[in-house]
Amino acid sequence: MRFPQPEPDNWLSAVLAVLVHVVLAALLFMGVHWQTHTPEAVEVQLYSAPPAERSAPAPRKVQPVPEVKPPPKPVPKVEPPKPQAKVEPPPAPKPEIAQKEKPKPVEKPKPVDKPKPVEKPAAPVMPDWSKELKATEQNLSRQKATEAAAKELQDLKAAQAAQALARGKAAWGDRIKAAIRRHIVVPPSVSGNPEAVFDVTLLPDGAVLNAKLRKSTGNSALDAAIERAIGKASPLPKPEDPTLFQRNLELKFRPLEE
Amino acid sequence: MNVAQDLSVLTLFANASLLVKMVMAILLGVSFTSWYWIFRKSFAIRIARAKTDEFEREFWSGGDLNALFNTAANDRHNAGALARIFEAGYREFNKLKGQKTLDAKDIIDGSRRAMRATYQRETDDLESHLAFLATVGSVSPYVGLFGTVWGIMNAFRGLANVSQATLAHVAPGIAEALVATAIGLFAAIPAVVAYNRFAHDIDRVSIRFESFMEEFSNILQRQLR
Repeated sequence: MRFPQPEPDNWLSAVLAVLVHVVLAALLFMGVHWQTHTPEAVEVQLYSAPPAERSAPAPRKVQPVPEVKPPPKPVPKVEPPKPQAKVEPPPAPKPEIAQKEKPKPVEKPKPVDKPKPVEKPAAPVMPDWSKELKATEQNLSRQKATEAAAKELQDLKAAQAAQALARGKAAWGDRIKAAIRRHIVVPPSVSGNPEAVFDVTLLPDGAVLNAKLRKSTGNSALDAAIERAIGKASPLPKPEDPTLFQRNLELKFRPLEE
Repeated sequence: MNVAQDLSVLTLFANASLLVKMVMAILLGVSFTSWYWIFRKSFAIRIARAKTDEFEREFWSGGDLNALFNTAANDRHNAGALARIFEAGYREFNKLKGQKTLDAKDIIDGSRRAMRATYQRETDDLESHLAFLATVGSVSPYVGLFGTVWGIMNAFRGLANVSQATLAHVAPGIAEALVATAIGLFAAIPAVVAYNRFAHDIDRVSIRFESFMEEFSNILQRQLR
């Protein structure tokens, strides 16, 4: 004759068992979350680094812009005596600004700002003409500004595309050179830092079809060493952007440069 | 490029394959049940020990055996295991003592048999579900390992379709799979610890029961003279 265990214990046990699992789940959740966050931060740093380099030159190019600003200021001083001529001068400086700004990535707001200082000095001198002048000047300057901005944008895009292309090509060339340089065994007799130019024909998979010496280093042993290295490095690395692939490459080598 | 893999436990569970999910669910259920029994058994053993202490104190304080028997018989639910053993033995002793045909040895033997039967029932009750804890302790790591192996097999099979194999392709799959082993170990470790502790505690309580039975038999034998 056996008697069931008192009920409260059973419920207490169930509640405690749930509690244990909830605590464990919370610990696991927090613990694992904490671990995933640190690598994320590292990755962000890694991937944000290259854009920072690209954007770095931009501010340098913008700095010359303040130097451009002074020229428009003297122009408005000439304006007040000749109302008819007033309309003409503002467009003149602006194309200059636009031309100078073309290579610069982020200046759309600035051309809009520049006309404003132009108008302010004009207003106090001739109160009668000032409103019409202001209106026409503003309209003109706005048009010019938008045109200039659109032009800039196009130029910018073209420049960026060209830059990206050039960068991709340069990167590819560097990778190829690095891959070949690894295999170059420089003969002991080389003196100075002679340059060799090779015409290399590639297959689409990067394999070297042939390598022709176009300009010798003047040292036949070194030429032969480079040619052998090109053969050994085959297949050469492919460009990251497959559209950059070229069948014929001109590779310049200075084997002693480090 | 989404490099940052979210490795929270929930996503790991959600991304696992069906079989691995099932293994994890089974292990979670097993872990819950084993914790339930761990708590229930620990309460039961603690109560048994406290009641045994209490009854031994009363018994050896030299009180009247009949009064002790009456309280034990009237309040069976609250009486401890030792009190029930005493009650069974003393009841049998009183029954047999009335029969003139039996000699002292038979009376004591009958009383001891009654006590032994109750003793076995009590220890069996204390030991019930300990086997479950032992099974969980020995099997759930293997179940978890099975889930892990299956998950890793899937992870590598997915790798076969990729031309450039990197660690990033396999790592999430392996992490998912390893969660199964983690759950298995989480279920197994407390179960093993609890099993060993409870087995030890129950052994000690049973030894106390047995020594009490022997000593009580001596007392009964002395009463017969």
